[in-house]
Amino acid sequence: MTLAATTIDEGVLDELRAILGEDGAVLTGAAARLNRARVPAPFPVHRWAQYVPDVVVLPRSAQQVSEIIKLANRQRIPVVPRAGGTGLADGAVPLRGGILLDVKRMDQIKEIDLADRTVTVGPGINMQTLNRRLKPHGVMYPDDPASYACSLVGGRIGTSGFSLLGARYGHTRDLVISFEIVLPTGEIIEVGDGGARKVRKSSTGYHLKQLFMGHQGTLGVVTEATLELVPRAETEFAAFFLFEDYDTAYRTFGEIARSGLATLAGVVIFDPEKVAYLRRDDEAYLSQPAWVHAVTAAALYGTKVEVQAASKVIMALGRRLGGKYIGDEISSGDWAARHDRYANPLHGRTSDGRVVPMSWHCEDAALPYSQLPAIQREWHAIAARYVSEYEIFDDWGMFAYTNGAHKPWADVLVEIDMGLWEERLDEAGWRAFVSLKREIGQATLAHGGSLTACHGSTREGDAELVPVEMGASWEVVKQIKRTLDPLNILNPGKQMLDEAYTDQETTA
Amino acid sequence: MAISEDPKLDGPAQAFVERWHENAYGCYSSGHKFCREVCPVMSATRNENHTPTAFHANVVAMEKGLLSVEDVADDYVHCTQCGACELRCPNTLMVGDFYRARTETVKVVRAMRALMVDQGLDREQWKLWNRLTDELKNEPVLGLEGEQPTGQERVRDWADGLDIPVGGETLMFVDCEAAFYRTSIPRATAQLLQLAGVEFGLMREQWCCGGPAAEMGYVEQSRRFAEHNVADWRAVGAKRIVAIEPHDYVHFTEDYPAYFGDEFDFEIVQIVDLLAELIRNGRLRLVNPIQRVVTYHDPCRLNKRKGIHEAPREILRAIPGLTFKDVDHVTQWAYCSGGGGGLPIEKPEITAAISARRMDRVSELNVDLLVSACVWSERPLSAAGEAAGIEVRDIVELVAESAGIAVDGSAGA
Repeated sequence: MTLAATTIDEGVLDELRAILGEDGAVLTGAAARLNRARVPAPFPVHRWAQYVPDVVVLPRSAQQVSEIIKLANRQRIPVVPRAGGTGLADGAVPLRGGILLDVKRMDQIKEIDLADRTVTVGPGINMQTLNRRLKPHGVMYPDDPASYACSLVGGRIGTSGFSLLGARYGHTRDLVISFEIVLPTGEIIEVGDGGARKVRKSSTGYHLKQLFMGHQGTLGVVTEATLELVPRAETEFAAFFLFEDYDTAYRTFGEIARSGLATLAGVVIFDPEKVAYLRRDDEAYLSQPAWVHAVTAAALYGTKVEVQAASKVIMALGRRLGGKYIGDEISSGDWAARHDRYANPLHGRTSDGRVVPMSWHCEDAALPYSQLPAIQREWHAIAARYVSEYEIFDDWGMFAYTNGAHKPWADVLVEIDMGLWEERLDEAGWRAFVSLKREIGQATLAHGGSLTACHGSTREGDAELVPVEMGASWEVVKQIKRTLDPLNILNPGKQMLDEAYTDQETTA
Repeated sequence: MAISEDPKLDGPAQAFVERWHENAYGCYSSGHKFCREVCPVMSATRNENHTPTAFHANVVAMEKGLLSVEDVADDYVHCTQCGACELRCPNTLMVGDFYRARTETVKVVRAMRALMVDQGLDREQWKLWNRLTDELKNEPVLGLEGEQPTGQERVRDWADGLDIPVGGETLMFVDCEAAFYRTSIPRATAQLLQLAGVEFGLMREQWCCGGPAAEMGYVEQSRRFAEHNVADWRAVGAKRIVAIEPHDYVHFTEDYPAYFGDEFDFEIVQIVDLLAELIRNGRLRLVNPIQRVVTYHDPCRLNKRKGIHEAPREILRAIPGLTFKDVDHVTQWAYCSGGGGGLPIEKPEITAAISARRMDRVSELNVDLLVSACVWSERPLSAAGEAAGIEVRDIVELVAESAGIAVDGSAGA
């Protein structure tokens, strides 16, 4: 039903070398391939070799990417694009070997346009790096995920990423104005809201930008992007409030989210399990009194005149139902540490309390606000069964975040963080992990949610639920995939898209 | 193209993976690569093979029989041992104090390079460099070809006419690059110490500190050189060593104590700390204005490895006339000259690319002078600065000038 297993022979390697045209851009060594087989999410390390690509290429231009993909079509070799490789849902993990197309060398800033407020970059640039270059110009690119320090623009488009400042500035889909993408058959096109590169709103044609946004490497390779430039925030404000119980924190979260403050960048809630987890080693929470079981926090970004006024509203709303302000130092410090806190394996504990390095599994979903308390209970109940049955899991608690770009008052990004002890992983443990993911996904769908708000549903466990969520529109999805990628070259095996080829002659 | 799963590890390689197993899993389990964008080598090559994350994942893969030392040898050449990755690692940054954990990457790179030497997989230029160093007892910093103008007969030539005694309680240790290539630095340093009334002498026989050999994996040679130098220090009754160069300072404060344990009881002083103190307490008076617009390059081994970033800023702010456009030391975690860890010996083109990137950051500041405090950074940065029209000088040279000393000696060939 998909490509026949391929072997990449010397002839193909020679063609790739000719396309790349420089030494060190076609890598066949074992280390090069092994190190591009996984992402930070839990990985079946006991079967590492099964995920390695056959060859790694490091192109510098869209033209090279195009020629590589055309070659792959001629030879029927899978192509898996990889930007930062920092995703949490295996979008960049090769499932069938092939050519790993690593875009990190396409990291140039091509144009900073201060008149039309855009910056045009290659997909291999990191947001923090970009913002350091933008700072002298008084502008910023406010795509701010937890992986702000390491993820790359290409991957942000590939996953349709979530920004922690999304309520104020929008998410990746809102911040990328247009981009260039090499299609699965090698043609180079530009997609935007219409056809113009620097126009944010258009009614021309179909809105192809959103079709390719979140493509997870299955519909092409992004080779250039034109991004929004936002006036650098004059000031920021963050406040954390402590609660005795989850319900009060939840209602406070809702009140702040519905406040209508335009400078509101995001509201977040930590549940009791998350607070207990933070008490393991986080100085800010070790010192909190025992009655603290939940936290709600809010952040504001904008001009001083707006933020100063809005901060008073936040302080009043945070305390209105009984929340206790955590203090300036922890509030600003915790907000500043928002990128770093969760990626630490040393938080892991076995059931008898031993500290072991655990991989961070972060299962995300988008859910209506009203469903949050129910899903909070159900996900933990699911997690608890796996934690008690297998020694390799650890429940690190849940948090939720306002999800809508510029519209923070309704649906929420919900995440459960779990530790997975990869060092002890075997096939039974991996199957349990997949099953855990599936159960969480099923609960999400039962509550009217979407499987993922930011990571993507590209791997076993939730991938098989994608057709369920998409319903009748799954047929359209398959038609699009088959039309654009007739030979299933781009990132095959992801998201149940192999179903698009079930009746095709091209199957092997 | 199948990846083999046959175990390929010999005894030393097995010991290596066992030694670094826990450290490797601390990174592998996280896999978040916050280190990557501050890694100067990765920023230049944009090749994931050259990331600290890969260096640790390789240990896991070796343990699983998926990689041999030979498979990864060239990758571990791609490191300046600047230490940025260790600082940026969330394991170190967020909970390091709590768990007493610190991701060790520099040591892993050094251990892998030692394995490469052990297995005969060391790189050709490193082999030559360290063989010549062993013969000359100093690094061949003036070139690998032909007759060597470096070595013991000339190791004190830089001090001609300065009337510096041999021996004493305080010794000034002059690294190879300064002793032979940029003699303006030791000459300016010596004259400043004389002006401030600091009594000091030189070694009888000063060999290379051994640090570069350790960085490139030649552990036995490094230790042999350390033993010689410490014996020389003891023979003249030295108690205090002034390291005028950051790499020496790291070697004396980390490797020497590791070699000699509690017996190593010397006080090691970094020159920028000493100069800042001498200026602060009035023993050095900076009177001559220097009308230049400058920025400061935080040498990796001072800033990232040893946390020394305040003293040089204090010094620069004390120089009259100077307009100092500072870039904070945390931003500078991502900066490097590319001159460390043996990289310029084996991969000069990457060193040049790293220096050029550093100089791009300087250019954005509209300054006409870049001040460093590490002689090893100054050669590649000067080369990059030539293209950008920006001069590179050592902080000691500036201090001397401001203190009224006519700085002479060679400022590089």
